[in-house]
Amino acid sequence: MTKIEQQDHSPNILAIFLGILVPGLGHVQIGQQRRGFLIMIGVFFLVMCGVLVGGIDAVDHTNDSLWFVAQIWCGLIVLLIDLLNHWLIIPLPIAEKATLVGLSHSNELGILFIAMAGLMNFVVLLDLFQAKPSDDLERRGPRRNKVVS
Amino acid sequence: MLGWIPFFEPMNAMQSYWYVLLLPMSFGISIIYRALRHKSYASYWRSVFLMTTQIVLGIVAIAIAISLFVQFIVPNLN
Repeated sequence: MTKIEQQDHSPNILAIFLGILVPGLGHVQIGQQRRGFLIMIGVFFLVMCGVLVGGIDAVDHTNDSLWFVAQIWCGLIVLLIDLLNHWLIIPLPIAEKATLVGLSHSNELGILFIAMAGLMNFVVLLDLFQAKPSDDLERRGPRRNKVVS
Repeated sequence: MLGWIPFFEPMNAMQSYWYVLLLPMSFGISIIYRALRHKSYASYWRSVFLMTTQIVLGIVAIAIAISLFVQFIVPNLN
C-alpha cells in the first residue's frame, strides 16, 4: 500500500469521538451531512421509543449493567437518562417507585430498544473508519443518459 | 392511563401488545442501516420501508417455524 493510500484510509479520530458523543455527528463532521442526520434521527427514534415504553428506568447501569454496555454506545443521551434514573427514581421508597419502574415486557422492550440503538451506533462508528466525505447520499437518484431524439 | 407521564413513567398498558413494538424497532434499525448503505436519497425511504417489511416478515416466519416445532415435533421426541 502506498503512503497516499494509507493516508486516505486513516480514520478521523475527531469524527469517531463526535460519533460516540452524539450519534451521526461523526458523519456530519466528515462532510456526510444527509447520512449523519438520518443516523441521528434513527438512533434518537429508537432511544425515544425505549424511554416511552420502558420509562427512564430502561437505562440503569447498576441493575442492568450488561445491557448498559450495549446502551452506552448511544453516547451522552444514555448517560443523561441514567443520571435522571439515579437522581429521580432509584432513591425513592419502594411504594413510590412501583409505578415508575417498568413491568416485565415494558421494561424488557424499553431496555432492548435502547440497546439496539447503541449497537447500531457501534456499527455506524465502524463505518466511520472507512467513510469518505464524497460518499454522502446523493440528493437524487443515479444520473441516466438522456436519449436525444 | 390518565395519570401517565410519557417519557418518565413506563407504558405498562403495552404489556399485552408487546409484539406490536417489533414494528417501530425494525423501522428504527432500518433508518440507521439504510442511511449507511444507501447511495441515493431519492429511493431511501422506499428502501427503509422495504427493509422494515423484510425484518417483520422474517421474524413472523421464524415465530411460525418455532411454534410448529414446539407444537408438533417436540411432543414426538419422547
